[in-house]
Amino acid sequence: MGGNHSEEAGAQLGALATKKQVTRPSLLQALAVDKIGAVYIWIAIVIVFSFWAPETFPTAATAKQILNANAVTALAAMAIIIPLAAGVFDLSFAYTMTLSGVVVVKLILGGTSVMAAIVIAMLVAVGVGVVNAVIVVVAKIDAFIGTLATGSLILALVTMVTGGTSMSGAEMTGPFAKVGQAQVGGLTLPNVYVVVIAVVIWYLFEHTATGRRLYATGFNPDASRLAGVKVERLRFLSLVASATIAGFAGIVLSSTLGSGSPTAGVPYLLPAFAAAFLGATQLKNGRFNSGGTIIAVLLLGTGTTGLALAAAPAWSQSMFVGLVLIAALAVTGLQRRSTSSSRGSQSDVGTAPADHPEAGARSSAATTPQA
Amino acid sequence: MSAELIPDSPSGCEALRVSALSKSFGATRALDEVGIDVRPGEIHALMGQNGSGKSTLIKCLAGYHHPDHGAVAELDGTVFHLGHEVPDRLRFVHQDLGLVHELSAQDNLALRGGFATAFGGRVRWREQEAQTRQMLKRFDVDIDIHQPVGGLSPVERTVVAIAGALQGWSGDAGGVLVLDEPTAVLPHDEVERLFAVVREVRRAGTAVLYVSHRMDEIFELADRVTILRGGRLVGTYDISALTSGSLASLMSGEDVDPDYRASVDVEAESPVVLEVRNVSGRWLRGVDLQVRKGEILGIAGLSGAGTLELPYVLSGHGGRSIVTGDLRQPHKSVQWIPARDATKLDIPLVPADRQSEGVIAEFSVAENLTLSVLDRLSRLGTISKKQEAHVVRGWSDRLKIKSENFRSPISTLSGGNQQKVVLARCLAAEPEILILCEPTAGVDIGTRVAIYQRIAQLASDGLTVIVSSSDEGDLLAMCTRILVLRGGVVAAEMDGREVTKPVLVRAIEGD
Repeated sequence: MGGNHSEEAGAQLGALATKKQVTRPSLLQALAVDKIGAVYIWIAIVIVFSFWAPETFPTAATAKQILNANAVTALAAMAIIIPLAAGVFDLSFAYTMTLSGVVVVKLILGGTSVMAAIVIAMLVAVGVGVVNAVIVVVAKIDAFIGTLATGSLILALVTMVTGGTSMSGAEMTGPFAKVGQAQVGGLTLPNVYVVVIAVVIWYLFEHTATGRRLYATGFNPDASRLAGVKVERLRFLSLVASATIAGFAGIVLSSTLGSGSPTAGVPYLLPAFAAAFLGATQLKNGRFNSGGTIIAVLLLGTGTTGLALAAAPAWSQSMFVGLVLIAALAVTGLQRRSTSSSRGSQSDVGTAPADHPEAGARSSAATTPQA
Repeated sequence: MSAELIPDSPSGCEALRVSALSKSFGATRALDEVGIDVRPGEIHALMGQNGSGKSTLIKCLAGYHHPDHGAVAELDGTVFHLGHEVPDRLRFVHQDLGLVHELSAQDNLALRGGFATAFGGRVRWREQEAQTRQMLKRFDVDIDIHQPVGGLSPVERTVVAIAGALQGWSGDAGGVLVLDEPTAVLPHDEVERLFAVVREVRRAGTAVLYVSHRMDEIFELADRVTILRGGRLVGTYDISALTSGSLASLMSGEDVDPDYRASVDVEAESPVVLEVRNVSGRWLRGVDLQVRKGEILGIAGLSGAGTLELPYVLSGHGGRSIVTGDLRQPHKSVQWIPARDATKLDIPLVPADRQSEGVIAEFSVAENLTLSVLDRLSRLGTISKKQEAHVVRGWSDRLKIKSENFRSPISTLSGGNQQKVVLARCLAAEPEILILCEPTAGVDIGTRVAIYQRIAQLASDGLTVIVSSSDEGDLLAMCTRILVLRGGVVAAEMDGREVTKPVLVRAIEGD
């Protein structure tokens, strides 16, 4: 079915291409709509709001406000793209944020030094990550359900620590306030954290063997395992990493709020996932990546801030987030389908799956059955 | 090509008649003025190599592809609009069978044919059960219709799919059932049971259009065969007019020897590179074996004999909790290690199912190829793109992987080239031993010889190869030694260059 023809053509091209096959993507390709479509949408909404709210929107103050207000969302999104790249969900991260936030505040209010309180809160977060990893990787419970369950357990801990009420005190305006409120050129410190963490994750995903193996694990764990990738170990570490970053985000959030609230982290659950999935459609189509995630956070943050400044009704912000997410995923979904169907017509039968009475036994042995 | 072979001409009373069928994909002409005539109540084989256009033809019949203008099609004398409508009496069982594995046979049949319902949508289960038994009765299989079909054997699932495709058949004779590679995944012993089912369909007067790669079964089953090559019709022949040699020649367009044997020389005194002692698992019941350097060791056996499990156990992917026994590499260390720690031996495995266990579809060609050797390409954890390109180029040249750009997704490659990338990934780690599962699954005869030669060449270069295959032809063509597994133990050992096919088949079946 065309296989013969295209293979012959491929042979000739292949012979020509062997000398210079590693071509670098050109600038034009890098700016293609399917790579950074969200940037164009972002520019479009900036223009729209500049006309809609000309007094308030196109100002430096608004730009700073958008960045400052969304830095914690970006941190939260950075936390989850690591396990997502490895093919596991971490729904508990928002509760981990809350937990580390209330732990650090409780300790500081109790007289612990700021540094020690931060270290202890981070250790608690790492501990949560280890528990998640044991449940998902060792006990082989599906990550979606498993981290939903641990989220509930963490919430119980939060209530134990706080008694269900928000904690604050004079200590909150001391040195601890600097963690989230100190400014560098009009921007708060959390923006710096985002850039540092995003660069580290970018380097990890793009340039290291570990990053390559994380992606492989997320895309096809069975093939990865056969290729010698330590799938379970990577998933374990990815969950510990997400809890650690989430714990840090929670400390930053408490510092920003000046209090330890038992509900502080939860509002970040949906925006972080929205940004992570929208981000995966950007720059590296189909791969969770830090650059795309930041673009997504900015797009969503600009839209919601613009709607608020333009005095649009309150419901319009949630509607905006939902619509952008569906549109982005639908567009990339359509693209994939059209490329895969044209591909499907090019190849004849393909493989015979190893459908064998033993196959079930083998796959249940060779793969990780996730509840 | 044999000159005395004269294709059949249409007789005028066909069950299915297609002519002037063309289909282009972009600039590629996948089918070029192809025609086929299936007589009522015959088993008509459709054969051709990968890329010959078989699948496109079937997909046009099924209405999945719209053919180019000009195609004419008739079923039982009634003209229909090919590619746009599918007559009721043209039924299909596709290769993946289209069953929901979690549901029972009864539910699967009802999903297609509808449930027997009473007032309010209540399912009349007793009547439904009676209907299901009625549908399956003619095929003489004893299956539990309430058990999820995922738990049935492959041939039983195929029967359920055939019964499902034939349900609601109005009238008795006439019509055509299309079976697309029904035996591609069946082990040898179950193929016979499927043949009985196919003959039962023919007995009722329904023609069967039977797509297959396997030549031996065509001679056993089919009445006539239509051969495609490179999108063109070669001809339709009475099966009695063909030999396996002439059929292979017609399919490939060149003379192919079906009894091909690759030449491999193993020194009798070459060192033992792997020793296996009393290994058991889910299917294995205490396997002992030794492999010498440069050997191509074949693993043969029926389904359930452990032929599929053994490769995974040896490569360390057999499920740690159930594997027992010991392994050692005597030329390296006298120490035995537990078989469950076999990953330590770094024996790579090329899986049979390329899509689910071989390639990572979202990865580029280069990313797929280097996945197992990333540590060698990295310094302080950072991958050197230059080193990576070097490795990719080296292996692409050696295995003649045809790719325009190694940074483009692996899905842009043809299936055969994807398979070469998986092989290159395994070889790039410079293993001493390589395990291959079903190396020719879904591969046509012309390409098979190239695979045999490549494996023989690797063995001559000092690589030890273990091949597990349900195709005796594979094992006979390249193995220096064949172990036959039966009931999870090694039941027979034979010299691959002296054993004949009947002897091997008898050993596999165990009588």
